[in-house]
Amino acid sequence: MTEACSILLPVGLGLAAIFLLLPRPQPYSALWGSGVGALALWATGWFLVRLAAITPETILFYVFSAIAIVSGSLLVTQRNPARAALAFALVILSTCGLFLLLAAPFLSAAITIIYAGAIVVTFLFVIMLAQQSGLSNADVRSREPLLASLAGFMLLGALLYVLHLHYDTPPDLEPLLHQADECARRFRDVQRQLDRGSASQKELRADLEASANAAEKLQELAGQVSLSRPSWAGRQKPLHDAIVDLGYPLAQWRATVTMFHSKQPIDADWLTEPLAEVRKALTNLANAHTQLGSLPPPRNVLLSNLSGPPANLPPNDRRRGDDGGPPPLPAENTAYLGRSLFSDYLLHVELGGTLLLIATIGAIAIATRK
Amino acid sequence: MNGVLLPHYLAVGAILFALGIVGFLARRNLIVMFLCAEMMLQGVAVNLVAFARFRGNLQGQAFVLFLITVAACEAAIALALILILYRSRRSLDVSLWQDLREAGQPPIVDEEPLPPAQPEEPLPKLTPAGLEPERREEGSHV
Repeated sequence: MTEACSILLPVGLGLAAIFLLLPRPQPYSALWGSGVGALALWATGWFLVRLAAITPETILFYVFSAIAIVSGSLLVTQRNPARAALAFALVILSTCGLFLLLAAPFLSAAITIIYAGAIVVTFLFVIMLAQQSGLSNADVRSREPLLASLAGFMLLGALLYVLHLHYDTPPDLEPLLHQADECARRFRDVQRQLDRGSASQKELRADLEASANAAEKLQELAGQVSLSRPSWAGRQKPLHDAIVDLGYPLAQWRATVTMFHSKQPIDADWLTEPLAEVRKALTNLANAHTQLGSLPPPRNVLLSNLSGPPANLPPNDRRRGDDGGPPPLPAENTAYLGRSLFSDYLLHVELGGTLLLIATIGAIAIATRK
Repeated sequence: MNGVLLPHYLAVGAILFALGIVGFLARRNLIVMFLCAEMMLQGVAVNLVAFARFRGNLQGQAFVLFLITVAACEAAIALALILILYRSRRSLDVSLWQDLREAGQPPIVDEEPLPPAQPEEPLPKLTPAGLEPERREEGSHV
């Protein structure tokens, strides 16, 4: 129920704000619309996009997204078309800021030049050529403001709901994933002790005890989850499989640790294999969690690696190599984008050029006086 | 949740797209309608670049390059068409072309009158400085 509220509140407030602000011959006071709009923006930030960490990245994300959304609302509700064009330029600049956060510097520069440079200037020229004197029907009236706002915001609600379904961790799995992190930390400690080799028996025993306790708790939580969730949606199947596959390695680890429960000297050889197994199972769980919501192509399809690692590789295989792997972002983004365009997308580039040529010819043919 | 993750960027893209739809359906000025269509494309671009980042390859960014190519072509042709439509009816109002609506739909009739235009503020009168040159009535040389 709270999930529905966390989507309905920002969407409903946004709907009210845009409906109040759309241009009319007798407009509502701009204060009401702006106030409701500010509330809607705050509700979006609080309920939908809540970020716990305060890093430069999150602050910049909030700033750029807020400017983009506010400018978008200005574009939709401004009476004066020249001001609307300037608001559009602001939308472009803030989305280019978002592209910089997403390690796409070439695209941010290209879109700034093309959109905010060329297209907005062209729009302003056309507005100047087609100037209206005084208030005109085209600017002051809206067509069906209520139905238009409803259509747009119902679509937004549906999109946000689908995003929530696919990408948000189900709340009943939170304790399990938290405990899995705790376990992974304990096993890392044990591994470090074993690698050092000359650890004291007492320290090693203490670490083994801690890891066995954590493993027991995780096994219990995994059992609870399997009982309380009889059906898993298809897209969550990898997560389900990872949780089920935790059972055996955890049990094996606990059995191995209880072998050294009495004051026997700990033999490292017995420990290495179960430790590797259980760490692999936990890594699989972490991977499945990060891939929640992804729909990668099937494994057996051969995909090109010229645009970066193929999407059907598992996440920890996408390392940087000489012939592939993610490029060092963002410094070499332009070079790799060029390589990708001229290898994977060569035909598309040629077709794009043809399309541009045809559009130029068409625009000239349409616009010259007959 | 720590750090900005994929669904946050997808939410921003969805919001821009929805605002574009509302603007396209609600506004009557042809140019503002087209700007809203371009904003929809920008929302899609944010989505694609976010996918490219979080999948680790550049396919999303290549797609965005072709997206802006098509958007530029569309802008050129749309602005040429808008100029032609303006020349025909001397107005940028899309409701003047209502004859293209679906058969059986009632036309949109403007019932509320527009507010009276504010009288233009007169330009400020400045005291002339110096002498005014004589005007010759020949006609413009330009």
